[in-house]
Amino acid sequence: MSDKKLSYEQARDELAEIVRQLEVGGAPLAESLALWERGEKLAQIAQAHLDGARQRLDAALKKASD
Amino acid sequence: MFPAVTHRPRRLRHHSSRFTPNVVGAHNYAVTPMAMQTSPEQPAQVRTIARAIGQWIDRLGVVWVEGQVTQVSRRQGMATVFLSLRDKLADVSVQVTAPRTLVDAMSTPLVEGASVVIQAKPTYYENRGQLSLAAREIRMVGLGELLARLEQRRQLLAAEGLFAETHKRPLPFLPRKVGLITADNSAAERDVVEVGRRRWPGVQFEIRHAAMQGVNATREVIEALQRLEANAEVDVIIIARGGGSVEDLLPFSDEALIRAVHATSTPVISAIGHESDTPLLDLVADVRAATPTDAAKRAIPDVVEESARIQQARERIMRALQVRLSGEQQYLHQLQARPVLRDPASGLSERSEQIEALRQRVTRAVSSMVERSANDIAHRRARVQALSPLATMARGYSVVQRPDGALVTAIDDVEIAAQLLIRVADGQITTEVTGKESR
Repeated sequence: MSDKKLSYEQARDELAEIVRQLEVGGAPLAESLALWERGEKLAQIAQAHLDGARQRLDAALKKASD
Repeated sequence: MFPAVTHRPRRLRHHSSRFTPNVVGAHNYAVTPMAMQTSPEQPAQVRTIARAIGQWIDRLGVVWVEGQVTQVSRRQGMATVFLSLRDKLADVSVQVTAPRTLVDAMSTPLVEGASVVIQAKPTYYENRGQLSLAAREIRMVGLGELLARLEQRRQLLAAEGLFAETHKRPLPFLPRKVGLITADNSAAERDVVEVGRRRWPGVQFEIRHAAMQGVNATREVIEALQRLEANAEVDVIIIARGGGSVEDLLPFSDEALIRAVHATSTPVISAIGHESDTPLLDLVADVRAATPTDAAKRAIPDVVEESARIQQARERIMRALQVRLSGEQQYLHQLQARPVLRDPASGLSERSEQIEALRQRVTRAVSSMVERSANDIAHRRARVQALSPLATMARGYSVVQRPDGALVTAIDDVEIAAQLLIRVADGQITTEVTGKESR
């Protein structure tokens, strides 16, 4: 599955898993760095989903109040 | 002569000329030589008189009598029902006895107040001296008969399934056009239209006027119904009338109309306001409304109320979405705020601290090792210095060595003319053996 097709929930849950792994520690450095990069990317995807939802909601509210 | 008997036919004739033939027949008997020869010395016995009365009354034969039932006594276990039948105009009553089976077989229950025509035989009960009409047939007339006929029709049509719940069609939520059948310029029309417009200003009516009572009512209502049915835009049809007597409402129980409504595919609302005697239209209609106003309310939604409801639903959806969204946003922020993500370098610096510590430990270890070695060397050097012959040499001793480095300790160690090295405190001297002698 390409990252662009990740749903908000998928991105969010994977991000939470990465945080857990990083917090537990113990992974080799290279792997930890890769996890962190992945986490950044997932956070961006999740945030983009939320921003999109917020925009749609705001647009709907604006339309409703017009 | 018996005055009561001779007078009675006259009164009957006066009030109910319908029965004249029988009365005249009875009167004929009155003139036959029935008279008994009695005197104070030779009186007739009660039984004789009673029998004579009975025989005389018996000759009246079977008559049809019309009247109103004022009392019905039905006693448990008795095969006879006693009725009081009252004249419709005069204050005259007569007792009627009817077999219970006859009364029970009537399609409409015989109740007090019912108008009936009874076929009966006037009978005199000798032992109680009582006159009674022994009923052979009882028929409802007027309203009673109407209701009985309606009830019979209702039962037939119900058996045919015309009133079945499964035939009831649901009303449309928002009808394109509301068909209305009612009398021209009637209160029912005004009620439906006004209430409908108030609920939904955009409502469109398709109004067909028809006679709502009288001989033409059935035909006109059916015609109006068919025209509205043919109009594809009419999604519901209201048949409205502001109540009336049972007779007025008869057209709305007409079998042709009932079948026409049953055959209609458009939902029909019956609004023939009448509580007690339900016209059959109420039964066949898809919805029965108590009044024209009620019909308008059922057929036409209150648009203001509906749009308020929709608005409410939208607001609730929006609120729910916003709550969800801000919750998720908070969660995401929490995840992002975790040290592992917010400060990824912290992991690195921790690791580099570890490396530094290791480096320091290595350095410390190596330097202490070097130091220990240096001490050892100095110590050893001191010991070497302590053991050095230089001090001795400074006092004038010297060391003789052959060129190969071997120390010369005996004369045999050297040959004449051999080269020798003499070490002294501040250097060395090269010499040659010129002679040797032993001590």
